[in-house]
Amino acid sequence: MSDDDALWWARLRSGGPRPVSPDSAYPAGVRRLVEPDAGAVWLVPDLPDGARPDVLDELGLPGAHVDQRGDTARVLAACLRCCWTEPSGPVWPGVGAQLDDVATAFRSITDNRDERALHAALLGAVRRLAGSGWLIFDEDQRVVRLGPRVAMWNAAELSSLRELWRSMPR
Amino acid sequence: MTASIDDGRHPVFEPVLAELSERHRDEVLTAFAAVEHSRDPVPEAQLAALRDATLRRHLRQLLGRVGRTLVPVAGGQWTSGYTDDVAARLTADGWNALPGIDRAVLVLVLIHSVAIPRSQGLLGGDSWTSGHPTSADELIRYSQLPRGEIRPALGRLRAAGLVQAAPSRGRQADIGTAYLPGPALHRLTPAARQRLEHQLILAAAPESPLAAAIRARQVVPPDMDGDE
Repeated sequence: MSDDDALWWARLRSGGPRPVSPDSAYPAGVRRLVEPDAGAVWLVPDLPDGARPDVLDELGLPGAHVDQRGDTARVLAACLRCCWTEPSGPVWPGVGAQLDDVATAFRSITDNRDERALHAALLGAVRRLAGSGWLIFDEDQRVVRLGPRVAMWNAAELSSLRELWRSMPR
Repeated sequence: MTASIDDGRHPVFEPVLAELSERHRDEVLTAFAAVEHSRDPVPEAQLAALRDATLRRHLRQLLGRVGRTLVPVAGGQWTSGYTDDVAARLTADGWNALPGIDRAVLVLVLIHSVAIPRSQGLLGGDSWTSGHPTSADELIRYSQLPRGEIRPALGRLRAAGLVQAAPSRGRQADIGTAYLPGPALHRLTPAARQRLEHQLILAAAPESPLAAAIRARQVVPPDMDGDE
């Protein structure tokens, strides 16, 4: 642990998970997530249990502001349904899914809205989630992948998510 | 995952936690989570590691391991922010700087909601938070910024906690959507708050005696010149 490690942790907090080349130095205490093609490694801070954001619920404290919270959560659920093809296994890296398939999953858990409103809500949420590292979105190819933050869910959270996954239509 | 985390000993946190009892260790970690992840400052009455000076010292050490420090907020509350030396290094590296349009919109909200009310004696202290709303229509109508870019910038600033929607209750109905400085501004250390104030004075009244005094007092390291 050095001053440089503290600076790295601050960078990861400030800018979110970062991709680096596989041979890059990395700070103490971060999780290294290797891309499926081994071309890059994501660095994600690995907080000990008891220091993670889920503590806020126990304390009744508010977390970060999320625009369109309900739709954003539903779109993340739709992406999990499409990208986490083997829910008995690890959630990351999963596979890429076409945005149209995600739209179908999103529609199945959303109230009746016209297509234009649905698409606007979907695209807005995908961009928000991609901006914060929960998704990776290739806008040109219209392909969505799970982002490195999902790899930090713990066993209990993954257990709840597996139940959710099974309950969702696809 | 590194081996040291697998065996339950976190390489960053353990050196600080090792000397604490199980109970104090949990209290310090809980306070760490609260100040780091909560949107708003945390009342010290709520957590032992914020109330107790000895535990607070451990909490400050823990935050220091990840480039952060404790920041006191009025009313017996605490939050966390980047240490001044880490903030200077992030800034010097251009790390994750806000886009120019976002910075411009944020500065306008700070001028309308904080600087002007403070100059009129309506707002005391050195905090950059305020209850004086800035109307979005006013930002669009009177600023020289590209109109279509202001609302997306406000969306990004909201997501970052740098602005927040003003509550509609008690506000004039005719000003439409309005914004206040966001809770993330509580995370500025006293030195960062002062730097922001000085930069605004230098930008708004560069020829004023106050600006001359600030310039005279500033000792800017050569590698940081112009970065803030």
